[in-house]
Amino acid sequence: MEHAHVAIRNVSKKFGSFKALDSVSLEIAQGSFTTLLGPSGCGKTTLLRSIAGFYQIDDGEIRIDDRVINNVPSHLRNAIMVFQDYALFPHMTIKENITYGLRIRKMPLDEIEKRLTKTIQYLDIGMLLDRMPGQISGGQQQRVALARALIMEPEVLLLDEPLSNLDANLRNSIRAELRQLQQRLRITTIYVTHDQSEALAMSDSIAVLSAGKIMQVGSPAEIYYHPANKFVASFVGTVNFIEGAVVGADDMYLRMESKGAQILVDARKFDDAARRTFEQSKKVLLVVRPESMKIVDSSASGDASNVFEGEVDHFIFEGSAIRYWLRALGSMIILDAFDPGETGIRSGAVKFRIDPSKVHLIAL
Amino acid sequence: MKRGSYRSKSYETSLVVAIFVIVASLLIFVMYPIVEVFLYPKAGDFLAILKNARYMKTLQNSLIMMLLSTSSSTFLGFIFAYTVTRTNVPGRKLFKLISLLPLFSPPFMVAFSYIMMFGKNGLITAGIFNARVNIFGWQGLWLAQTIAFFPVAFLVMEGVLQSISPGLENAGRNLGATGFTLFRTITFPLARPGVAGAALLVAIQVLADFGNPIIISGSFPVLATEAWMRIEGWADIAGAAILSILLLLPSFGIFLLQRYWVGRRSYVTITGKIAQVEIQKTSAPVKWTLFGICALISLLVVLVYVGLIIGAFVNGWGYDWTLTLRYFQEISSRSKELIRSLTYSLIAGFSSALFAMVAAYLVSRKRFFMRKFVDFTSILPAALPGIFLGIGYSISFTRPPVDLYGSAAIIVLSMIFWNISTGYQTGIGALQQISPSFNEAASNLGATSMRIFREIEIPLIKAPFFSAFVVSFIRAITTLSVIVFLSTSKNAVVTFSIMNMISDGFYGKAAALTCVLLIISFSALGLAKLFMGKQVQLFKV
Repeated sequence: MEHAHVAIRNVSKKFGSFKALDSVSLEIAQGSFTTLLGPSGCGKTTLLRSIAGFYQIDDGEIRIDDRVINNVPSHLRNAIMVFQDYALFPHMTIKENITYGLRIRKMPLDEIEKRLTKTIQYLDIGMLLDRMPGQISGGQQQRVALARALIMEPEVLLLDEPLSNLDANLRNSIRAELRQLQQRLRITTIYVTHDQSEALAMSDSIAVLSAGKIMQVGSPAEIYYHPANKFVASFVGTVNFIEGAVVGADDMYLRMESKGAQILVDARKFDDAARRTFEQSKKVLLVVRPESMKIVDSSASGDASNVFEGEVDHFIFEGSAIRYWLRALGSMIILDAFDPGETGIRSGAVKFRIDPSKVHLIAL
Repeated sequence: MKRGSYRSKSYETSLVVAIFVIVASLLIFVMYPIVEVFLYPKAGDFLAILKNARYMKTLQNSLIMMLLSTSSSTFLGFIFAYTVTRTNVPGRKLFKLISLLPLFSPPFMVAFSYIMMFGKNGLITAGIFNARVNIFGWQGLWLAQTIAFFPVAFLVMEGVLQSISPGLENAGRNLGATGFTLFRTITFPLARPGVAGAALLVAIQVLADFGNPIIISGSFPVLATEAWMRIEGWADIAGAAILSILLLLPSFGIFLLQRYWVGRRSYVTITGKIAQVEIQKTSAPVKWTLFGICALISLLVVLVYVGLIIGAFVNGWGYDWTLTLRYFQEISSRSKELIRSLTYSLIAGFSSALFAMVAAYLVSRKRFFMRKFVDFTSILPAALPGIFLGIGYSISFTRPPVDLYGSAAIIVLSMIFWNISTGYQTGIGALQQISPSFNEAASNLGATSMRIFREIEIPLIKAPFFSAFVVSFIRAITTLSVIVFLSTSKNAVVTFSIMNMISDGFYGKAAALTCVLLIISFSALGLAKLFMGKQVQLFKV
């Protein structure tokens, strides 16, 4: 990891008897886009607000640039937040809103104008400056809120579910725009969301939280393909769990047995310690993504390894893909087949292959 | 009644009857008396206003008091509201509790008690500091009205400050605003429409105040007391009518301003996500300044009650401080008036709440001819000074065809219709929160409109009904201004006799009776809280 720009060490925060954060530690690299992901009540917003300085943490420390900021007031942290409801001041024009922080700092007016010009060109809100927040659309409010934060040239940009109040189309376009802007400015960004697809699409690094604890930190691909536990696996993306035990191993594969069927798992991606853990565990959980399996033509011969039989229970046709629910391996398996065509399989018995290199094991 | 629900005949019939009763009552008991007041004086009487120096002086006095007392009440109300909602000043909860007490007490009580505490023979002025202070006059009135009405301002602004999204202040803080800068640039500008609303509400009450000036203003006449003098002293009904019209005009103007102008300029934001709000530490000088102000004012409020209680138990205020129970024994000779007060107010409180709920239900759920009229007229009494309504009733209903002179009915009716606006607004508020989709869901599931009304709307409106009942009851039993023109020896209630006792100098008796009145209204409040718990929102202005 590069230099840790924001370091969170053993941070705890209680509301009454409710533990919102339970000894959380996390390092955030300079210039990275880090997402705090989790269901509501997991503590992600509490962590963000603790970094912003709205909450006094009970225990642990938060550093920005190696400076402990536990007791530094919010505005001296230079960590500027974009609020979920934007928190635009309803009694000020857009321009007054955006320049508010600089005016509080008593920056010379010509300097403010310069920064304003620079900021609004990123965000395309030049024509809104004289309006009031109530007179512009949700997407525009979003940009204004972002401008109000960016004009401060913050060290750390904090985003609290900034896209959740927008409709789906707008959300997708602003998502891309936000990511591009962040990469252009290389500004350390901490982003809170409960939307896993948003997290996967935007982040350099994702921290998954549950019940006030960090479950896993990693790149989107790591989180997706190597979930550390069942919670992370099921929270990020759709997943099949197959319970069983490792019954054998060679250089290439771990052999797992589940209800009489033997499933091969590519062993090369595990280090020795992990392999030993799996081999010694009584029970392991196989994590298979719906797209890591393929329907195979039952008549054609070919690589017959890791091929299993099932029967279509029901399906959803989604255009670019079809999602099957298969009765197979003693449970219900969700399988996505892409480019299904008009006359593909809709019912009856099928054979499918699990790609040994794309599955993951969790020791239980 | 609309879309898809089954129409049931009994429901339709009762609806028509209800609409008829509501509209007719509002016409007869709200509109007619108002019109009568305007029609009573002859054209010449109106022209004489400008030439009558005493009228002009009185008008001027009233307006001056309105400015003074409104400013001080609003200022103190804001200090209290800010302290309670935004700071970590110790004793916040206690300050809040104390400041709410005057809302449930007879309006003349503050003035009365302050005469005993701070007057010529005042327990504090003469008794402790040995000073002979003349509290009668505008200064005394200013003090009494400030203490009597700042709670109204407090209550309004507490609501306003609470509903300002904490996110906005957090955003301001995050962008660098601290302490007073945050207050100056974010908190206060956001609260400003609420402050204006509170000030206007207080202004109406100050203008209409009769209890305090009649007791403490001495030779400083205001419109409300002068109207009373015209009738008491000269039996000059036309003069009283004109004075009360002079009183109505500014208060109606303020009422319109408050309702239609300030109402639209609110920054109150409602967002889905409720963030845990941590109260930020207040800097020590600010904290202790606020504490000092709140403590001083709370002490002044407490003194009102202390004064009354002492007054009720000592033999002779100012010269004989020995304890006695004789005033409470003498009260038994007043039991007739106490019973009248109780029964009239119970009947009036209940009817008023019922009337208000039915009106609110009809207006918010049904479309009918004169719906706008019902809406407006049900709120209108809030803008009517008690004096004005009292004169209106005494002009309208004390001669054929409706001669209710000296009857219980005229007192009860005046109490009912003077109080409908608070209940009506509570009802409208409650019904607005009940989404019409409840009805649609119920009718979609096959419920008839009568069943929807009985099984869904009635239960939902029960809590607002009870709070309206309690509030109307307390307002009725403590009112003086409305009934003062309608009282005779046959229908006099307690407040009326207390006023007479004070003006005759029987402080002990008056204090004892006021204590009884306080016990009744605080018990009503306690019972309501006990039975309804948090559901009852009293005095949500």
